[in-house]
Amino acid sequence: MAKQSRRDFLKTYAIIGSAAAGLSSSTKAAPKNFLSEDRMAVLVDTTVCIGCRKCEWACKTAHNLATDPIETYEDRSVFKEQRRPTDKALTVVNEYPNTTSDKFPINVKVQCMHCDKPACVSACIVGAFTKNENGSVIWDGDKCIGCRYCMVACPFQIPAFEFEKALKPDIKKCDFCIERTSKDKLPACIEMCPVEAIIYGRREDLLKVAKDRIKNYPHRYVNRIFGEHEVGGTSWLYLSSRQFEEIAFPKLGNDPAPGVSEAIQHGIFAYFVPPVALYALLGGVMWLNKNKKNHESNTEN
Amino acid sequence: MKTKLLILLIALPLFVFAQNKVGKLHQTQALNCKTCHSCDIPTKENPCIKPCPRERLITIEQTPADAPAVFTIDKMKKTSDIYAPVVFSHRLHAEMADMGGGCRMCHHYNPPGEVVGCADCHELTRKRTDLSKPDLKGAYHQQCMNCHRQWSGKVECESCHAQNGSAKKTESKPKTDLAAKKVHQKINPPAIVKYDTPKANGKIVSFNHTDHVSTFSIDCEKCHSNESCNKCHAKYKPASLANRSVADKHVVCANCHNTKANCSDCHKNSAVGSFNHKARTGFDIAKNHAKLACNRCHVEKGKFAGLKSDCSICHGTWTKDNFKHVSTGLQLDEVHADFECSDCHQEKNYAIPTCKNCHEDKTYPKDKPGKMVKKSK
Repeated sequence: MAKQSRRDFLKTYAIIGSAAAGLSSSTKAAPKNFLSEDRMAVLVDTTVCIGCRKCEWACKTAHNLATDPIETYEDRSVFKEQRRPTDKALTVVNEYPNTTSDKFPINVKVQCMHCDKPACVSACIVGAFTKNENGSVIWDGDKCIGCRYCMVACPFQIPAFEFEKALKPDIKKCDFCIERTSKDKLPACIEMCPVEAIIYGRREDLLKVAKDRIKNYPHRYVNRIFGEHEVGGTSWLYLSSRQFEEIAFPKLGNDPAPGVSEAIQHGIFAYFVPPVALYALLGGVMWLNKNKKNHESNTEN
Repeated sequence: MKTKLLILLIALPLFVFAQNKVGKLHQTQALNCKTCHSCDIPTKENPCIKPCPRERLITIEQTPADAPAVFTIDKMKKTSDIYAPVVFSHRLHAEMADMGGGCRMCHHYNPPGEVVGCADCHELTRKRTDLSKPDLKGAYHQQCMNCHRQWSGKVECESCHAQNGSAKKTESKPKTDLAAKKVHQKINPPAIVKYDTPKANGKIVSFNHTDHVSTFSIDCEKCHSNESCNKCHAKYKPASLANRSVADKHVVCANCHNTKANCSDCHKNSAVGSFNHKARTGFDIAKNHAKLACNRCHVEKGKFAGLKSDCSICHGTWTKDNFKHVSTGLQLDEVHADFECSDCHQEKNYAIPTCKNCHEDKTYPKDKPGKMVKKSK
């Protein structure tokens, strides 16, 4: 390296640092979160779901993912462990014992919640995620650089990473069957469900349906619609006979997740803190080492 | 004032018109508008219909024998279907429902007229605007699975459907015949059920089922309502009584009994046999009142205490002319038949008469004012 005084070094990096900070403030432009009144949603009634897992089969088939024949989905031994959506299964159904009553177990379908204020959209530094007018949150493979910030940001830990192709990053998650819905078809799982435990419709209409059900059958449901307010509202809404936290729903506040993640992210990067802190640390280490060296050379002499 | 009257005159027929112009179906239904509509004047634009009135509005009860024996549920059939339609043994299910709440266990909405089938209300298409009730496929499955998954724990499609293209499908005709012949085996109700309760004083409750059915003539439905098959066939056993709340444990009894008070009426320290009116109340009904329904004397519904054993409370109009004394087993001779009741039965003691009013030296039952005969009924 050419001769460079310590003062020059700091100066250069200060300029680069502030440029980077400026850049980050321009990407801060969080998604506009334009929420249409007619955005669609799904109401999941976990008291109706029988855990037949036909939605899993329909989902895989609609998304051209490898799947076993439909008969194999009758195997309920998969419920022994709790599963998460993966790059090979965008939705999964889990089962929880029903301890409070003499009824059958509770089955819960898990997939992307399609948040109204999605953390993944906010966290993605290249804008590969978008919140659409119909409520869906979808991912564009051409823009993705594989940083996996979305996986960290998601309050429901939904986005899954397809690791097999190292050079072609692939984030997989439920896409609300955007291809089917754009052709005026129902999402694959909705069309498949034999008991209609999942209903697709306008979010406002579904909230009304859910509230009516709670009103008409107060003993059947806990008085809460999961997703109505959680993390600022989600497109997938759940009804349950047990408290949601007891059936493995995350305990979340009503503040939108991006509000939290953005505050932390932007708080850390504000006022040029990380570079300064890093170089202060490095400088400290160097200074300590230098003293040590002096000390050693002194003792040698 | 005139203008107001004019407006009223114009408006009045409009209101009348709005009230009268109801659909054809509505006219046949003797219903209060408020049963279904939440507002005063429903319009086409704002019908203000209340949520589906499940389990109200039941006006039709048929016996299982009136119901179709078997039919194939193929209304939703599509060529692309993976599974074949279900052959539904309707009569068998009607018989089973008869042990619970009857037809309404499935036909939960039935305005006056014919029995309403599922497809009359539930739409065929899943993509629809009215999301308040499930589509036909969902409705069928929800109705079936509610019981099936509970008593057998089975949710496999093939427990009801044959898979299309499989060998089983060819024998659908015999399956129909088979389903038509199925009957539910007869249920033998228990005589007495003994409950061991955690109550320190009065541990044992003896529930006499036979008494409740025969002696008290309580309809099965009064207690066994909305029960599903899993009352007997449960894969997921009902939570034992011990784990239930106090209110939950008493919920069925509380239909008739005041379970908040009078604990000792049912909670005893030892098992109790059949209901015995004499032991319980001191009034023996075995002789003359055994065949009467309870409500012949206990007129006020649900109130049994406080009725005095005085005959005149019920038989206040009896006189020497209209009371057949022979029914007591004693036929009065001609002399005694002319007396007023109170001449011998003093202080309303109808069990033992007194002779002292006329005869110094005679006492009942040593001396009788007539002859004993076989009791007439």
